[in-house]
Amino acid sequence: MQIRAKVFNPQIFLELICYVSYAVLMIYLLSSGRYLSYVTPRMKPYLIFSAVVIGIWAMVTLGRLLRPQHKIRSMHCFVLALPILLLLLPHRSLGTADISGSYIGGNILSGQASPYGSTPQRQNPPANSESNAAGPMPAEAPAERNTEPASDPFSAVDSELLPEDEAPTDSLDSAILDTPNYAYDFSNLPGLDSINKTITVSNEDFGLWISELYVNMEKYEGYTVSITGFVFKDSKELGENAFVPMRLMMSCCVADLMPVGLLCKYDKASQLENDSWVTVEGTLFIGEYTYDDTSFDEPQINVTKITPAQAVEGYVYLY
Amino acid sequence: MAIPVYVVTGFLDAGKTTFLNTLLNKYNWQDIKMLVVQFETGEEEFRSCYRNCQFISFPKKTLEQQPLQIVEEILEVLRVYTPDEIWIEWNGVVPFSDLQALLLQKGLRDLCKTQKVIHVGDGAAIEGLLGRTGSALPEQIASSDFIVVRNIYSSVAYRRICRLLRGLNPGVDIYEVRGTKLHQDLYRRLFGRREHPLSLFFLTVLLLIALHIFARPVLEVLQLPVNTIINVFLGIILQAIPFLLIGVLLSSAIQVFVPQRFIERWFPKSIGLGMLVAILAGFCLPVCDCASIPIFRSLVRKGIPLPVAITFMTATPVINPVVILSTYYAFSGNLSIVITRVALGIVAATLIGLFFALRPPKGQVLSGGALDRMMCSCGCYEDADSISTFFGKAGLFIRHSQAEFFDVGKYLVIGTFVATVFQVMGASIFNAPQSGGGLALSMIIMMAMAFLLSLCSSSDAIIARSFANRFPMGAVMGFLIFGPMMDIKNLMMLSSGFSKGFIVKLLLITFILCFAVVFIFYGLGVI
Repeated sequence: MQIRAKVFNPQIFLELICYVSYAVLMIYLLSSGRYLSYVTPRMKPYLIFSAVVIGIWAMVTLGRLLRPQHKIRSMHCFVLALPILLLLLPHRSLGTADISGSYIGGNILSGQASPYGSTPQRQNPPANSESNAAGPMPAEAPAERNTEPASDPFSAVDSELLPEDEAPTDSLDSAILDTPNYAYDFSNLPGLDSINKTITVSNEDFGLWISELYVNMEKYEGYTVSITGFVFKDSKELGENAFVPMRLMMSCCVADLMPVGLLCKYDKASQLENDSWVTVEGTLFIGEYTYDDTSFDEPQINVTKITPAQAVEGYVYLY
Repeated sequence: MAIPVYVVTGFLDAGKTTFLNTLLNKYNWQDIKMLVVQFETGEEEFRSCYRNCQFISFPKKTLEQQPLQIVEEILEVLRVYTPDEIWIEWNGVVPFSDLQALLLQKGLRDLCKTQKVIHVGDGAAIEGLLGRTGSALPEQIASSDFIVVRNIYSSVAYRRICRLLRGLNPGVDIYEVRGTKLHQDLYRRLFGRREHPLSLFFLTVLLLIALHIFARPVLEVLQLPVNTIINVFLGIILQAIPFLLIGVLLSSAIQVFVPQRFIERWFPKSIGLGMLVAILAGFCLPVCDCASIPIFRSLVRKGIPLPVAITFMTATPVINPVVILSTYYAFSGNLSIVITRVALGIVAATLIGLFFALRPPKGQVLSGGALDRMMCSCGCYEDADSISTFFGKAGLFIRHSQAEFFDVGKYLVIGTFVATVFQVMGASIFNAPQSGGGLALSMIIMMAMAFLLSLCSSSDAIIARSFANRFPMGAVMGFLIFGPMMDIKNLMMLSSGFSKGFIVKLLLITFILCFAVVFIFYGLGVI
C-alpha cells in the first residue's frame, strides 16, 4: 500500500517563479522590441522557442508544487534569476560613447582595415593574388575576389539567402534595419529619387543603403546623399579633412557592436565634435582608401552641408 | 511546539544502529526524553544507557502493508510518552519519500517536524552497492543533510567516496568516523544552524540589487564599464539560453526515450563506423556548442564509445548547418572558406576521437563514476527503461531536462560572465600583436582569443571575419575551428559531468590537434 502526502514545496515554488518571470519577460522583450538592444532580429524565433519551452516547464512544474521534499535547494535558480534580475535592473543600452572605450567591439573592430564595418576591402583584388599558398595574406582567398566581385554579405543575403520570415515586425524600434527584398527591384529603394539624383537615407534604411552603395557605387556616382550618424574622426587614419558619420552595427549580439558608415571629405572636419550626431549632405564619388599598402575603391561623400541631428536610438543589423 | 524529528538512513548493515548507540547515549543528553523508532532490525540492537529513551520498532512488512497502522501506533506512543526528540532509524531499502509521506499523515503532521536527515554509509561497501541495489539508496543519499561515512582507511578512498556522494547530493556535509568514537565536532556540525535555502536565495537577490545601486557608481568612477558588462553579458546569455534549451531537450530525449537496448543493438560497434555516424549526426543537428555538451554527456552515459562521443562533440559545433550558413554570410559567400572550415573541422574532430581511441583515459571519465550511467542529479531515480507509459516518460523527460538545464546552466552563467569580463576589460591585450608575427604565433593568439571570448559557434564567423585583415587566414581558421570545440564556457559546462583530469586532457589534445591540422594545411601549403 502506498500512501501519499501533500505539502508545499518551496524549491518548486522558486523554480516556478523563475520560469514564469522568464517567460513573461521574454514575451515583453519580444513584443516591445527591446530584445534588439541585446541580440539581432535573427534571434527572435529562438527567443520565442525559449519562452514557449520555459512556459511549458512552468505549467508542468505546477503539478509538483505540493510534493514533499526534505532537502531544499535554491541557488541553482540563479541560472534564470540572474539574467532576469539584470534585465530588470536599470541599465542603458550601449551607445557611441561605450564603443570608443577600451572595448573589443570598438577598438579591435573599428581599428581594423577601416572603421566602416566589414565591406570596403574587397572591392579591388590585391596585388599579390597569386601568392595565396603560404604566409600572411589579406582577408579572403583571392579566387573569390575575381570570380565573385559583387559578393558581399548584404547582397548575398538579399538576393538569395534571406529567409522569408525575416520580414521586419511592426512593433520593432524605428531604427531597425528594414530588409525588404530590394535586390530585385532597384527602382524602388526607399529615399531614392533617380530623377533629381538624390538619395535621402532614412535612419531605418541606413544599413540597406550602405550595402547598396558599396555594391553599386558606380551607379550612384554623382548622386546627392543625405545620411545621419555620429561623427568619428581619426586624423591618423583618415587624415585631417575627413570624418565618418557612423551608426553602430550588430552582427550577432551586443558583444560585437561595430561602427559602420561612409567616409566624408570635409575641409572643416576638425571643427566637428567626435560622437556628436549630424546629418550630412553631399555628393557621392568613388574614392580610394588605403590600408596595409593595398588601396580599395569605396564610395565616399564630398560634403556640402552639415546639420546637427537628433541622436538615433537602436542599432543597424546585418541580417 | 512540534517535536523535532531526526532521521538516520543508510543501507542494511551500514552501521545505523551502532551510530545511534554512540550518538544518543551521550552523558549530558540524559535529561532529554527521546523516542527511537526503528524500521529495521539489524544485527546490533539499540541500547539506551540512561533510560531516557523509549524504543519502538516496526518490521518492513507492516511498513509495506499497513503504513497507516504505523502512524496510529506512533501517535499512541506520543500520547502517553511526550518525548523532546524523535529519532528514526529508517529502513535501508525503502525510499526516504515513504517516510516523509508517513510523517506528513494527519495527526503526525502537526506533532512533529523533520529537522535533520543523517545518512550513514559503510565506506567499504557503498561503491559496490550504489547502482546495483535499486533507487532507494541514491534517493536516501540525495535527500540527506549530513552524511557520516565509516570504515574508510585511505584518503584516496575517502576522496573518491566524497566525489561519489557529492555527485548525488552536491555540497552535502560529509563526516568521516574512524573507529566507534564520535568527536565533539560531529555534534557541532550536526546541530549547527543553517540558513533556510529560500531565504538564502532572496538575501542574495537583495544583495545583488544593493550592489547594483551602491557599488555600481563606485565601480564606474573607477573606470569599470559596468553598464557595458551587463549589456554584453545579457547579449551572450540571451543567445545562449535558447541553444542550451535545445541541447538539454535533445540530450534528455536521448536519455529518456532511447532505450539502452536500442543503442547496444544498433549503434555501430566499430570505432570507425561510429565516428562516421557521429560526423553525419553533426551535420544534421543545428546546435551550437552550448547544446553539444549536454548531448555529449548523455551519449557517454548511454554507453556510446568515448572516442565516438568526443568526435561528435567536437565536430557538431563546427560543421552543423547553422554554422555553415553563418560562415557563408560572414565571409560573403566565399565557399572555399566554408569548405575549408568544415573539412578541417571534421579532420580535427576525427583525430581527437582517434587519439582517445588509441590512448583511452585511465580511471573514470564521468565525475559521478559508474553510477552516472544510470542516474542523474535530477532527483529522478526511476530508471528510464522501467517506465513504460508515454505520460510517465514525458514527465520524466521534462524533469530531466529541467535538472540538466540548471546543472549545465550554472556553468554557462559563470563561463559567460568570465568571457564577458575578458571581452570588455582584457581585449586590449590582443590589440598589440599584429599579423607581423609568424603564422604559428598568430594562430596561437587567435586560438587563445577564441578560447577566452567563448563566442557562440553559430555566430563566431562574423567576429573572425573582422580579424581577417589583421591576421593570416590560417590564424583565423584556427579561431574558427578551435573556438567552437573548446572555450571557457564549454570548459565550465564540461565540469558539470566529467572529471578534471579528463577535461584538462581533452582541452590540451583539442588545442594541439586543431593547431596541427590548421598549421599543416596553411603553414606547409597543403592546399
